[in-house]
Amino acid sequence: MLKVIDSAVPVACWSCSVAHNDATLFCPHCSKIQPPPGSDFFSVFGLTPRLNLDLPELEHEFHRLSRRLHPDRFARAGENEKQWSLADTALLNDAYRTLKEPIHRTEYLLKLHGAEIGEEHSGKDRKDPSRVPADLLEEVFELNMQLEEMRLERTTGEADPVLQASLEQAKRKFDGLLDEVDHDLRAQWQAWDEGDIAVRQSAQKTMVALLDRRRYLSNLVRDVTETLGV
Amino acid sequence: MAYSDKVVDHYNNPRNVGTLDKSSTEVGTGLVGAPECGDVMRLQIRVNPETQVIEEAKFKTFGCGSAIASSSLATEWIKGRTVEDAMAIKNTDIVKELSLPPVKIHCSVLAEDAIRAAIGDWKKKNGVAETAAAETSAH
Ligand code: FES
Ligand SMILES: [Zn+2]
Repeated sequence: MLKVIDSAVPVACWSCSVAHNDATLFCPHCSKIQPPPGSDFFSVFGLTPRLNLDLPELEHEFHRLSRRLHPDRFARAGENEKQWSLADTALLNDAYRTLKEPIHRTEYLLKLHGAEIGEEHSGKDRKDPSRVPADLLEEVFELNMQLEEMRLERTTGEADPVLQASLEQAKRKFDGLLDEVDHDLRAQWQAWDEGDIAVRQSAQKTMVALLDRRRYLSNLVRDVTETLGV
Repeated sequence: MAYSDKVVDHYNNPRNVGTLDKSSTEVGTGLVGAPECGDVMRLQIRVNPETQVIEEAKFKTFGCGSAIASSSLATEWIKGRTVEDAMAIKNTDIVKELSLPPVKIHCSVLAEDAIRAAIGDWKKKNGVAETAAAETSAH
């Protein structure tokens, strides 16, 4: 689990000694570069964790900070500042890449709040039935069987048009399901951003389940697309 | 990621790939998925009604190399065991045998889930109650 540093704990600037919020890349007082803060990606951009983000604003802020951190600007600075400009840039890039992409952002925020996501998942809460979309498994498995058959037929040169049509139909259906999941996720974003602790906790649970479902769907859509070449 | 030799071996020569007749009362089917990555696995067993020995085991996995190797190994291990014996197989045994790295542990969990689901299905079909003893001895 990632640690969320309490941003209320101030750190003294190395240059001017004025205490500042640990999340900042530059001292608000003397504007000097600071070592990479050990806080979360949101605070790199001066944001508190949230799911609805103003993306143009985020991009603008990313470019602004990138320019300020550019190594050229530190050509005559001290060794520490040079190192920090590289380290801060790396952090800023990671933060931007994670936050601008909606699914990565959601997964990141859930991890900040202690959820086990993706490959870090240890499997200990998988008996929780809400995590296992049983209705989906049958369909996913069936479709994978059809895909395999299709690939096999391809190698022997005689692709069955009926199979092709049924796969295309399945793809449309699963594209639709994926849209549904994304729509549901957005509704949970809203709930999380605006909710109190209880609302947030329930939104987090729902989002973890939605992301699980989404992984099956997106794998499948990817494989069907690959096989059909559409 | 570098796979261990044993994973590569199972991946290249998977044992017991296939399908058993789902509608047979002697057959139990487990279909499970890994929410971590979206991979799916089906494992089937055919149980001798007299001896309760698993005489045949088949799998089909759409997933990563470790998941394929784990399910291949699982079918090898459960064949010839009684149903109760097979319940004792833990994902950690699979991890050890295949030297799976931490990010691939969930692939072995998938195989353990599949064994349990297949046995559970067979028990349900045959009116065998889930015995508490099997559960506790497995932990
Ligand atoms: S990566 Fe998910 S089953 Fe192996
Ligand atoms: Zn300062």
